[in-house]
Amino acid sequence: MPVKIGLFLCDCGGSLRNIDFPKIRENLAKLEDIAFVKISHNLCLEEGEKAIASRILGENVIRVVIAACSPELCEDKFMRLLEGLGLNPNLLSIANIREQCSWAHERDVTKKALELIRMAVNKARLLQAVERGEVPVNKEVLVVGGGFSGVKSALELSQLGIRTTIVERESALGGKLRELGGFYGVETSPKEMLGSMIKAIEEDKNIEVLTSAEVARVQGGAGDFTVRIRKGGKESSRSFGAIIFATGYRTEILPQDFEVEPGGNIISQQKLVQMLQAPKKSERRPETIGFALDFSDENCRLPTLSTLNNALLVKEKLGSEVYVFCKNLKVDSEGAEKLYQEARDRGVVFLKFEKPPQIYGENGQVKVEAKDVLLGEEVTLLCDLLVAEEKTLPSEGTESLSSMLNLEIDSRGFYQAENIHLYPVASERKGIYFVGNCRGDLDLARASTDVSSAVMNIYEFLSPEGAIVEVEKVKADPQKCRACLTCIRICPHKAIQLVRVDSEKWVAKIYDLACDRCGICAAICPAKAIKFEGYSDEQILAEVEAIGEGL
Amino acid sequence: MTGQNKKIIAFCCAESAYRAADRAGRLGIHYPDNVRVIRVPCAGRVSVLHILKAFEKGAAGVLVMGCQEGACRHLTGNIRAKERAKYAEDLLKEVGINGQRVKVVNFGPDMAQKFAREIEEMVEKIKEE
Repeated sequence: MPVKIGLFLCDCGGSLRNIDFPKIRENLAKLEDIAFVKISHNLCLEEGEKAIASRILGENVIRVVIAACSPELCEDKFMRLLEGLGLNPNLLSIANIREQCSWAHERDVTKKALELIRMAVNKARLLQAVERGEVPVNKEVLVVGGGFSGVKSALELSQLGIRTTIVERESALGGKLRELGGFYGVETSPKEMLGSMIKAIEEDKNIEVLTSAEVARVQGGAGDFTVRIRKGGKESSRSFGAIIFATGYRTEILPQDFEVEPGGNIISQQKLVQMLQAPKKSERRPETIGFALDFSDENCRLPTLSTLNNALLVKEKLGSEVYVFCKNLKVDSEGAEKLYQEARDRGVVFLKFEKPPQIYGENGQVKVEAKDVLLGEEVTLLCDLLVAEEKTLPSEGTESLSSMLNLEIDSRGFYQAENIHLYPVASERKGIYFVGNCRGDLDLARASTDVSSAVMNIYEFLSPEGAIVEVEKVKADPQKCRACLTCIRICPHKAIQLVRVDSEKWVAKIYDLACDRCGICAAICPAKAIKFEGYSDEQILAEVEAIGEGL
Repeated sequence: MTGQNKKIIAFCCAESAYRAADRAGRLGIHYPDNVRVIRVPCAGRVSVLHILKAFEKGAAGVLVMGCQEGACRHLTGNIRAKERAKYAEDLLKEVGINGQRVKVVNFGPDMAQKFAREIEEMVEKIKEE
């Protein structure tokens, strides 16, 4: 059957005066595959829609070209209209004769409008229907990491009725929460908080916990991941619909910042916490305690929080003199400003320096020399203890995990979000999320927000019976594919994988659910095996061909 | 062909440059009317073949317009576009077409003025020859 195209022109209420519509109609009606050319004043209003419906059904057209305003505005609407009429929405082609033609030029632009419509007609001739279909999704979720964020993710997912498995590397859940001493001014201690969360997990039938276990391999795509989990020397395969990574962080004292070896009088925050919790009788109460911050990295939300928190706890429990050496205090975490005020009220002294202070050991004490910015003078202080600055670093194995997942890490080694401002917890791969401190240093409130948004994303993604997607809109032709892996390496969403068709042949397969329809693979494929319906090479070139086919 | 009749093909990323072009129209920012915009989902969809075909069909200049670097909706699409345009440019140079007639431009969706300016610049460039 020859292609019959129904062509609708919209003059936007008669306002597109620099286009001669009757002339365009006359010119286009000559083309043999155009069934009709209908000029309308308002295609987007109800009367326009009715006109479209009656003409399409009446004349039995199989492609539709609409010349109107920008497809950014009207495409969805007209696609839905076509769908309602039983026509495949992909058989629509739109010429933008308002924003990019009539409004953009002062002179008469009939010729340009005609050419734009010819481009759309050329493309319409080649359009193929794209069916929408259901892709089954696995409804179970894997959470990697059993710290605060991981445990919270599992609990929130379970509340929504989603079965969850937690894989934790250590022998017990809790992560960094087990190391924290206390939150100043908060009744519940981190241990109690953790205790109640673990209790909730144990009582929850929707949650399975695998401790001393690791993720060895992740295959497949969104909705259907196959994960190999290593536990006690044995590997087993499990299937999940989505994965949350909550692998957390580690802290480290960088020895190059200190003249003397850390240890002895220079201690870590964790050591201080242990001292505060169980003071040894034999130990002399430290008279002065210094905290060091900001030596090389200003991006330190967690060290600032723990410094403020522990400085106050020291004041409360030991009553020592407390000094904080810092460059700039980052108080953008929830409650940090209040902690800072309270610390000052209780007599914690903050010394601002521009250059990192010199630190020496002297007679069993730590000598700190720095130029105070506010006093404008060199200050020398002798501390009984100096609590060293701890760097927040990605937890061990982050790099190998990211290379296994084929995902990027940022310059500091943390997982990189797809878009830090718009989708901070999403990764480049659909169905994989990063929450909490594995994507940068976040306080508890921020980590909780991360967890909630990842959980809601997963809920939206996994809750229907199956995800509705355009089936094979982007498709690799198994006859042409030579399995050269170019598309697999280039796909930014990692939506392409090799699948076996018979004993010898492997071909690229594009996962409809994971694909974001960018067409980068179609442009790079050396065998031209990938077809992106709607933006295929033939269709784009058909548009190019229309240049000069004007009046 | 006189300068006015020479055509420019602009492959515009639907996320950024296409919107910038729409915005130019909406704000009444005028630019030469010999540009033909082809909407693509991402600048990374544009292949060397598309650029070369455009010249074969009589275009005098080709613009590949994508998102700002580091802000591509598909992460690397704009960088791929740049690589391919460079490659096409080299091929064109070999057959004697001045390489400056292929240009990759990075856009945000609100850069209407920039869109108009880029079209004007390309029109000036093809007039000179």
